[in-house]
Amino acid sequence: MNPAADFDPSAANAERARVDADLLRRIARDDREAFAQLYDRFSRPLYATALRVLNNPAEAEDIVQDVFLALWEKAASFESTRGSAFAWAVTLTRNRAIDRIRMRNRRAELLSQTTAEDAGTQPSDAGPDSATRLLFKEQTGAVRAAVAALPPEQQRAVELAFFSGLTQQEIAALLQEPLGTVKARIRRGLLKLREILGGRHD
Amino acid sequence: MIDELHEELASLYVLGLLEGPELADFQAGLARDPALQTLVRELNETTCRLAYAAPAAAPSPALKARLLDRIDTAARWRAERRVVPFTVPVWLPWAAAACLAVSCAWLGQLYLVSRSENALLRDQQTLAEFELSSARNQLKAERLIAAHEVASATGQLATLEQNLRRARQEADDANLQLTSAQKLIAARDLQVAQNNERLAELEAKSAHDADLANFKISTLASLLGNSPQALAVAVWNPARQEGVLRVEKLPALAADKDYQLWLVDPQYPIPVDGGVFTVDPATGEARISFKADKPIKAVAKFAVSLERKGGVPKAEGPMVLLSQ
Repeated sequence: MNPAADFDPSAANAERARVDADLLRRIARDDREAFAQLYDRFSRPLYATALRVLNNPAEAEDIVQDVFLALWEKAASFESTRGSAFAWAVTLTRNRAIDRIRMRNRRAELLSQTTAEDAGTQPSDAGPDSATRLLFKEQTGAVRAAVAALPPEQQRAVELAFFSGLTQQEIAALLQEPLGTVKARIRRGLLKLREILGGRHD
Repeated sequence: MIDELHEELASLYVLGLLEGPELADFQAGLARDPALQTLVRELNETTCRLAYAAPAAAPSPALKARLLDRIDTAARWRAERRVVPFTVPVWLPWAAAACLAVSCAWLGQLYLVSRSENALLRDQQTLAEFELSSARNQLKAERLIAAHEVASATGQLATLEQNLRRARQEADDANLQLTSAQKLIAARDLQVAQNNERLAELEAKSAHDADLANFKISTLASLLGNSPQALAVAVWNPARQEGVLRVEKLPALAADKDYQLWLVDPQYPIPVDGGVFTVDPATGEARISFKADKPIKAVAKFAVSLERKGGVPKAEGPMVLLSQ
């Protein structure tokens, strides 16, 4: 029997979302341990996102620190019906990173410096417990595999849309494609990712 | 119902790529569409998981320590803030009541103003609806007029087409008549030509008849004692200035002699030469066509003399025949 065949991404996502929401509820009650656990679960993807957008480890760490402090302060306002805690945290991180990059008007420079190679502090085994590390690896593997399953032009459009902070028109200009084509690629790419990753979970 | 456009806008929305009116329109639609809300939530979850697609990197271990330290501080501050005693001043309820009263009065006024504005807006709406109704009626009337004009124009066009067909028919008839007339004219021209030809023939015949009428016919009697039965007839056509002479029973000629014909015209002092001739020695007959060597107006007499061979310009020999 193939274990992968029985794997239900939607159910796994729902379970993760439930755990994250529970941690946030505990954080709202000033639960320091819950905050530490949430940090272990979220800090790597949030930092990787901020670093990918900003291409600057120090700034990325600043952003992550701001986001976690915001989570601590606003945990009580979290409503799981509006989305998962992880999506909330990623949205805060990405928005802050893009705001910063736009504010500093360094977009062109950063884009030219951006590479697909891993950057920043390489993850070490220290820190999160083995279960959290396993969760991170599993998530990273699944998402990267899903992205790799997209046609290259959709991959490029989706990655630029998520990490670059460029507008639709700027992405179209960068890719030298009509705006409509870029929009369609983004739409198809996200729908395909949702299908693969099982975005539907309540 | 979610279509491709919704999916596209939702995708751009979760990526923060919608701006301005497009963003406002989408948010308005999102607020009243549960299916769209579900789609946005799912796409947002999917999009946020792209964080795992970023190149692997971890913050420094010190960050966690700093954060825990910060939240410890914050937690302490919160705890301290929670235990700060707060004594409610005696005047606070009265102040709150006064504020409430002022607020109620302000809200009441605001309500009245809003009501008035609402009534005004309703009036404006009624007026706008009336104007819209009027415009629709006017449009309807204009459409009816236009339809009537179109029908009228169509009728006129049909009449014009009928007239045109009739005119073409008449033109065809006229062409037919013209062709018939041309044929008739051609036939008449032919007839005229034939008539002219006939007329010419008649004129020629008439001229010939006139010539005949003017012919001079004379009988010439013998002046010879030895041949009293010699006889000649001369016919002269004055129009053609030529004639014919027929003689009988003239004596045979010697080899050095010729008979010579003379035409007597009063305009000339001497007879005009009409040419020489010989006769059949056996019968004494001859038939000759002759012409005068001068123009002849009128022939008074014909004469034949015996002359030397070849003839002479002026009669020298004896006269043998003379018209009576």
